[in-house]
Amino acid sequence: MNTALKNIRRTPFQALAAIFVVSITLFVVGIFTLVTLASHSILLNFETKPQIIAYLKDGHTTDQVAGLISNLTSTQGVKNAIYISKQDALELYKKSVGNDPILLGTVTDWGIVTADILPASVEITASDPKSFGTIVSILEKSDVVSETPASKKEIDFPEDVISELTKWTNAIRMAGLLLIIALTIVCVLTIMIIISMKISSRRLEIGTLKLLGARNFYIIKPYLLESVIYGLVGALFGWVLSYITLLYSTPFLAPRLGGVISFPIRPEVILLLLLSLLVFGLILSFISSFFAAARFVKRSK
Amino acid sequence: MIDFSHVTKTYSGDTVLDDIDFSVSPGEFVVITGKSGVGKTTLGRLLIRDLLPTKGKIIIDGEDLSKIKPKNIPPLRRKIGFIFQDYKIIPDKTVGENIALSLEIGGYSPKKISDKINRLLDMVGIPGKENLFPVQLSGGEIQRAAIARAIAADPPILFADEPTGNLDKETSIEIFNLLKKINSDGTTVIMATHDVTLIDLSSARRIMLEKGKIISDSESHSTKPKTKNK
Repeated sequence: MNTALKNIRRTPFQALAAIFVVSITLFVVGIFTLVTLASHSILLNFETKPQIIAYLKDGHTTDQVAGLISNLTSTQGVKNAIYISKQDALELYKKSVGNDPILLGTVTDWGIVTADILPASVEITASDPKSFGTIVSILEKSDVVSETPASKKEIDFPEDVISELTKWTNAIRMAGLLLIIALTIVCVLTIMIIISMKISSRRLEIGTLKLLGARNFYIIKPYLLESVIYGLVGALFGWVLSYITLLYSTPFLAPRLGGVISFPIRPEVILLLLLSLLVFGLILSFISSFFAAARFVKRSK
Repeated sequence: MIDFSHVTKTYSGDTVLDDIDFSVSPGEFVVITGKSGVGKTTLGRLLIRDLLPTKGKIIIDGEDLSKIKPKNIPPLRRKIGFIFQDYKIIPDKTVGENIALSLEIGGYSPKKISDKINRLLDMVGIPGKENLFPVQLSGGEIQRAAIARAIAADPPILFADEPTGNLDKETSIEIFNLLKKINSDGTTVIMATHDVTLIDLSSARRIMLEKGKIISDSESHSTKPKTKNK
């Protein structure tokens, strides 16, 4: 360890370059990890919400509804189909508007909002957005689904929001992954070059150690330790930068994603991120220096 | 213990050692003499498997160095303390740290290393210099530090390559006496030198090299026939 620290003190600018590159790489890794987690939460939120709502005619029978639900649930790609009665609809409406007297109709001319004015419906959640077409086709053929004055079935569905969202999140993940791969390569090459230069500058000492009977691991150990220090310190800085970014972006993100992600982010998530970055930094730096050192030691006598 | 059997070494067609054939018994003190460039250093490098012979065999403790596996080279080198002609003392490490290298490589604990360094420095005649850097020492002191490093891990064999090459006569004699003392403690010592003063002083076995060949061997402790072409 003393030799590793001495090597760092001897060449502070090389050490700074290595730590800087590792920090930037792990900062990007940290940010994209958070973005990936957030996009996963957003997607999960959309997926667990009903995606298609079919409003039912007044005066429908229980058998008609049971038949429709049975037909839907036996269709491939349908996760579930739930019947929402007029009373359930009223409860959901109240829950969504809270205590707003205007929206509840208590202070309007048309009186209190009651279950009678709200339609019953069937809410369908699909496990695969590709099944939307089949579901809509079943609903359009159903007699129990109500129609608009223009004889159009009253079916609400967010078209392919999920599919679009999935596409976007996948694109973000892919872009993040490519950026991380590119930065990781730069990081590995930088550490390899720095460690190779250091080893090269001490080749006479390494030669002497070999002649004294040192094993290869004894020779490369200080360089591995030095690199691991770069990796760990870089990971720590990368985490601090990610955390600062998260703190500064919270006031912007909280109102927009508040319903989907809980802000502030839980401390255990932040600590898990630190741990992951430290492990990633450790592996990254160890592998880079190991290849640099092993290659040199193997070539030298 | 050490057996050079018809060893020839050539570098790019130049024969440096030619049909070298001798044995060294445990505890012997052997002086290998000859002018500069006759192959004394090459002999030492062959001994620690830094070089491979072009022809012939080198056997140490029954192990043929040509057939030794790479993983067994470090243990072999730990059996042979080597005093290098150019000292090979690491300039940015203190005397103590340089000596500690041999001990660390030999697997000694930090406590034992510290104790042993002090004893070694006393033995080689530079007590209390463990915290000095090589640049703060005289040539003789650096040579003593190199000897201390070579014998630190108690190797059974010590090869000294021109140990007095850059030293004055008085210091050379002191170094030579130190090597004799190390030998009297049971270490097999092979000293390569062109220093006539030391050769004259020495009552040890002398092997003389000329143009890569053994031209004389003062005494045979080996059962092998020797080439004596005076």
